[in-house]
Amino acid sequence: MTILPTLKSLAVAAAILASTSAIALAKDVHISVWAGGTGPNDVYRLDAIEIAAQQLQREAALKGEDLKITVEKKPYSAWEDFKQALTLAAEAKTAPNIVVSGHEDIAPWSQAGLIVPIEDYVDLDSWPLSDIYENLLQIASYNGTVYGIPQDAESRPMFFWKPYMKAIGYSDADLDALPQSVQDGKYTMKNLLEDAKKMQDKGLVQAGYGFYPRTSNGPDYWQFYTSFGGTMEEGGKLVFDKAAMTRTYQFFADAVKSGVTKKNHIGMPGDQWWKEVATGKAGIWDGGTWHYARLVNQEGLKDFFGNVIFTLIPAGEGGKANTLTHPLVYLLTAGHDQEDTEIAAQLVKIASEPRINALHAVKSAHLGISKSESTVEFYSADRWTREATERLLPHANAMPNNSDFGKYWNIMWKNLEASWTGAKTVDAAVGDAESELKSTLGDKIVIR
Amino acid sequence: MKSSRTLGLVMIAPAAIMIVLFFLMPVVLTAVFSMTNMTTATGISGGVYQIAPNSLIALKSAMPDIAAEMAEPRYTIDDAGLKAVEGLGLAPGIAAELRAKHTGEVFPTRRDVERMIKDLAERPSTREVKQISEQFNRSVLNTRFDSKEQLFSALDSLGFKLTPEQKETVARVTYTGWTWTTDNFSRMATSPDMARVLFNTVLYVALVLMLFNVGYALLLAILTHYMPPTPASIFRGIWLLPRITPVVIYVMLWKWLAWDSGFISILMGKFGYPPKNYLLDNAYNAWLFVVLINGFIGASMGMLVFSSAMKAIPKSQFYASEVDGASRWQQIRYIILPQMRWPILFVTCYQTLSLLASFNEILLATNGGPGNATEVWALSAYHTALRNYAGNLEYGLGAAMALVLVVIGVMLSLLYLRVFSYGTLVAKPLIED
Repeated sequence: MTILPTLKSLAVAAAILASTSAIALAKDVHISVWAGGTGPNDVYRLDAIEIAAQQLQREAALKGEDLKITVEKKPYSAWEDFKQALTLAAEAKTAPNIVVSGHEDIAPWSQAGLIVPIEDYVDLDSWPLSDIYENLLQIASYNGTVYGIPQDAESRPMFFWKPYMKAIGYSDADLDALPQSVQDGKYTMKNLLEDAKKMQDKGLVQAGYGFYPRTSNGPDYWQFYTSFGGTMEEGGKLVFDKAAMTRTYQFFADAVKSGVTKKNHIGMPGDQWWKEVATGKAGIWDGGTWHYARLVNQEGLKDFFGNVIFTLIPAGEGGKANTLTHPLVYLLTAGHDQEDTEIAAQLVKIASEPRINALHAVKSAHLGISKSESTVEFYSADRWTREATERLLPHANAMPNNSDFGKYWNIMWKNLEASWTGAKTVDAAVGDAESELKSTLGDKIVIR
Repeated sequence: MKSSRTLGLVMIAPAAIMIVLFFLMPVVLTAVFSMTNMTTATGISGGVYQIAPNSLIALKSAMPDIAAEMAEPRYTIDDAGLKAVEGLGLAPGIAAELRAKHTGEVFPTRRDVERMIKDLAERPSTREVKQISEQFNRSVLNTRFDSKEQLFSALDSLGFKLTPEQKETVARVTYTGWTWTTDNFSRMATSPDMARVLFNTVLYVALVLMLFNVGYALLLAILTHYMPPTPASIFRGIWLLPRITPVVIYVMLWKWLAWDSGFISILMGKFGYPPKNYLLDNAYNAWLFVVLINGFIGASMGMLVFSSAMKAIPKSQFYASEVDGASRWQQIRYIILPQMRWPILFVTCYQTLSLLASFNEILLATNGGPGNATEVWALSAYHTALRNYAGNLEYGLGAAMALVLVVIGVMLSLLYLRVFSYGTLVAKPLIED
């Protein structure tokens, strides 16, 4: 009888202690994540962080911590809007915790102090980060420091509409051999323009639809420069190869002159372009691996493999067949509470696990980021991801992470557009690009 | 008298503050920004000093040996580092094991030293590993220093023997922020593309202003002046529609008209012409649409101003001229136009300035294309400073471009006032006083 009050008070004391310790450990964390270039097929860029939050909460619970993570997601479909919003928000100290952007932003953003190295918060030697392809991690690094974790990989192939290729004389066996032929440099840019012309001459496609490239600025155009022997960066310095750039500009000017590409192609409505390439209105075009998802899911191209064949970007004069990988990366922005940033880093790490990343890869037709991802059956059973990984990824280059590359890119694009539309001759465009690069970048660029 | 003057100043103070904050400050800041090389990469709020492999490339040519030495990352397990680890308040076994097993070891990279730390018996957490490795960092590589003094003291403490000049050179090449410069103006002066953009701007302002904002507006006002009131009101109302339609929808309507799959293509298709994007087909077409799109909006304002000004002309002058047998053209020439001097001055002046700064319709319709053919100065400044696919926004150059626009605007205003002899308008009436 006498022990009861003691037990009672002990129980009350224990309950109070438990409740206070629970209060002490309870933590509400709000993590915001923004993703650029994100259409309906790319939702897992954001959703993966949400899935990761579930996992991290469970792990915390097992350690006796009451962690509650709210993830606020914000997709941006256009790149320009996204980059403007992000840079201005970061300058105003209101940037989200996590950003999904192109790897080329690492250089300027890290130099400006807008992002912090993710390697300060995660153990790169532990799974799943230790399993990520080494070259992708390199692309996500700057100054020898890993700033981001690759969110996806991709490459940018050349697509051919099979029925038209057959109609101009390619047999099934020829078409099966085409990817190898492009890779070996036997099928070149010259052949591509010839085939595009044949398609038009036979009336298979309308004038201007033989070669139907990307309609706006994008990394794709650096592939053509590489195709014609250009180098973007060497030993940490940007390189402007005049001869290669001349051949690149000339290629598009020739395409317009021979009538296989429209003079007014750049700036045309994107939706129209998608519909046209999905319905066989165009003969040959370039695009990204993720185009597969859009063509099949949104544009109604059900028999993709029956209608389309894809290869590397063929070699031009002085260059080699190539493709460009432009991984998006998860980046952590500066100016947040250290613990929040650490939780954000943990979320990125968990989101990079093969099965979670495979959701994004398969839904959006991007490529996997780690070796074990290709052993995930869900990923390897998908014909597109499997074939694209094998055919393209071993030959993929990347744009340089250089804080001045954006300026170079603008000047290159502006003059490509001018020579394409006939506003300038090719020589004048290359000359203008050279003089502007000299006055803008000085000795930060090698001109040869 | 004195107190009323003070009261006046007090009463006007809120408005004066607003004017300074929202009208004067942006111009002053634009002028300040224009004298910098500010970009996304340099940030706006200022930079730090960071000796990174990338910045050392510039140092290599000036001081190759020192640059090579700085590029060398080093992690040394020394006594100072061990003491610092002991002071971190971590599990005591960590420092003890490091001291016993690893004293004197040198690791070339952070990842190497961290791998060793992770192998310790009392495995620290990832955050602790980072804290420990930092204590052994004996290089300045990739460390961010907030001030020059911090950078110099770090260089001194690591045993770099540098002269003050060499230190300044290191500080200069490793500074990540923006610096003062006049390069933006020399870039503008020498760039052939800028000259083209300037020409585009002059063409755009002149065409829209003369053909529509003043010319067509005047024509509309005169036409409606001679119409019965009801049809005149309806006619003016219709011309107001472009002005009151949201600009995105208004430009979208033009695009539907001119796109490959738009009205013109469908119509021309009936006559056997293949569909094409009439809006961006060539530079002439793009200009035609840019002028029409802006002109239809701009004409309405001039029309309203001119119509109401014409209403103010005493009716007796028209009656008298009718009695004298004047034709419509003579009425326009000798009655209307001479009395429209001030409204025309106002509309010309106002519309010149607004056309110089306006670019939203062009942005939505052609985005400056095809091939930068319709890129005007304000649009180019916007593209440079705030919109860029590659993400490196050039605030400094964009501000310099905006400043040029401000200067041109002010100069043109003064010129207009002189040409239209503004002095006579504000002169004291002779019959008063």
